[in-house]
Amino acid sequence: MKFSYFTLSVALRHLRYGVGQSLLTIGVVAISVLLIVYLRTVIGGTQVRIVNNVTGVIAHIVMEPAERTPIGAWRLPAEDRQALYVGETVKLPRALDKIDDWPQWVQALERDPQFTVVSPVATGNVFLFRSARRQAVRVTGVLPDRHDRIVNIESNLVEGRFLQLIAGEVVLGRKLADQIGIRLRDKLRLVGPGGQALSVTVGGIYQTGFGSLDEGQLFLTLRDAQSVLELGSSISNIALRVPEIFAAETIAERLAVRVPFRVRSWISDNPSIFSTLDAQNQTINLVLISTIVAAGFGIGSILIMSVTGKYREIGILKAMGATPPEIQSIFVIEGFLLAVLGCGVGIPAGIALLQALSRVRAPGPDGRIQSVFLIEIDPALLAAAAMVAVSVGVVAAFFPARRAAGIDPMEVIRGA
Amino acid sequence: MRGPPVIELRGVGKVYRTGEVETPVLFDISFPVQRGEFVAIVGGSGSGKTTLLNIMGLLDRPTSGQVLIEGEEASHLDELGRAQVRRERLGFIFQFHYLLPEFTVLENALMPCRMKGSDFEAAQEARMRQLLHTVGLGDKLRNRPGQLSGGQQQRVAVVRSLANSPALVLADEPTGNLDSRSGRVVFDLMRSLSRESGTTFIMVTHDDDFALEADRVIRIKDGHIQHLATGAGVAKATNPLRLAASNSPV
Repeated sequence: MKFSYFTLSVALRHLRYGVGQSLLTIGVVAISVLLIVYLRTVIGGTQVRIVNNVTGVIAHIVMEPAERTPIGAWRLPAEDRQALYVGETVKLPRALDKIDDWPQWVQALERDPQFTVVSPVATGNVFLFRSARRQAVRVTGVLPDRHDRIVNIESNLVEGRFLQLIAGEVVLGRKLADQIGIRLRDKLRLVGPGGQALSVTVGGIYQTGFGSLDEGQLFLTLRDAQSVLELGSSISNIALRVPEIFAAETIAERLAVRVPFRVRSWISDNPSIFSTLDAQNQTINLVLISTIVAAGFGIGSILIMSVTGKYREIGILKAMGATPPEIQSIFVIEGFLLAVLGCGVGIPAGIALLQALSRVRAPGPDGRIQSVFLIEIDPALLAAAAMVAVSVGVVAAFFPARRAAGIDPMEVIRGA
Repeated sequence: MRGPPVIELRGVGKVYRTGEVETPVLFDISFPVQRGEFVAIVGGSGSGKTTLLNIMGLLDRPTSGQVLIEGEEASHLDELGRAQVRRERLGFIFQFHYLLPEFTVLENALMPCRMKGSDFEAAQEARMRQLLHTVGLGDKLRNRPGQLSGGQQQRVAVVRSLANSPALVLADEPTGNLDSRSGRVVFDLMRSLSRESGTTFIMVTHDDDFALEADRVIRIKDGHIQHLATGAGVAKATNPLRLAASNSPV
């Protein structure tokens, strides 16, 4: 193919002259792009909401102790350390539930761009004493600013604080608070499995809408949890967040071979949810592929009509010295421009539609007003939709273009 | 010093093959055409004159023989090479004007220049405007072909054929689709442009009157050449096209 001032000007003029056909094709491409953007974003958002609803607010990946304890690579003097660990020591059963040297592991994981949040967690069951009442609860000690990006507590606070949580304070779910009849600033007593006691004040009360989180969970600072659970300076696990929720299993598998810990993803913990969502994704992909193919056929058929209608003109251009690559380029440029213009309409229309949908609000299952659609406009998705549409436009144009390039000027002259 | 002929045919033959069937159309055609000549090719339907014009215009390949354009063998070039020669050295006028409906009169006239790039097109624009004025279309420059009469469109096609300042213009029955008055205007235009610019014209025509006004008439009959050397203004009364024929080489 040969792109030049001549081929571009002829292609542009064809599109302008056949404005009706051009607009129709641009419309077809725009609808395809809009469908890609809409379906992927809205269904993707719905899937994330389903995942959140079913599993609660969870870490995408959890790295927890296995039956061996690693010897970290940082213990070696060598400057250039590729390995994350260099060996292992067997520990006695009592020490199994802990990760020592966690600051180094957190640092090592933070250097990996696959993980957007790395949060050390100390967790275990304790007894909560309030006056004469006693209740078993699960405490989770965290660094609030990190963990809030894994389990979103701050924005779900009914009262009090979470991000500024200090030693001696706890944050708990509203249902648990109602059950035991406690309010903000009330005093509680926690007793760990080893008998270690800790007096705390209620620093915040949240309501996420997820039962497991609102009823049996209690957040406190990492150090307090380490203290009441008698973990010393160790932690129970490291919670991780990845940018693409459905890639969690793959990332977990890759991480598992690099560390001497057990690594599990939300997918391996909930296989049935994932297979259902996967089937849903396959269906969406089928719909999207059909849409794209339809757009391709739209561009292709309109260009075939164009080639047929311009049979004589093409023959004359060739007689005057236009080469087959030039003629081919004219129609490929047309396909390219139709697709680009289609994207130019489809992508802004898709964004506008998504923005409008994101403003639709209705009461959720917990009675709180919330967005009906979970919408996060992803620039990468927009770019991918545009690239797919443009590629399809060029490929679809290729065949009519080749047909045009093959027109024999002599036949045109003879057949007049 | 006289240069090589603008075009020279040496022993050109053409056979069309359809499966096992061979149909010879042209036999051993040889003649040169010098710079500035205005040559008419005449002959009955099916005589092979359009095939001959197509071979001269490098739109078709001869089965045998050679076509030399300005002394260089051109008929055996590949498709891109022949397109290049057509673009650089040849101009075409067809019976049906075949202007591009999406472009204005001026743009159509400049189309061969556009193929050579925007700079060349810009450099030729003033000349083409002048030529369109000369042929009486100065007020139609921005019109689309559909807004012109058949004769006017053919005048645009004539001007277009000169856009590249070609060495040779090949015209295939340029007046065949026009009424006699418009046909006369178009023919006179070609004749005068040929004289003024010194461009060589080879015109296939059915019209004996126009053929008689050519510098030379080549008559084709059953694929063989019969020539008549005439000068412009040969007495039409004698109608030499019908009376005299010869098989001697030109």
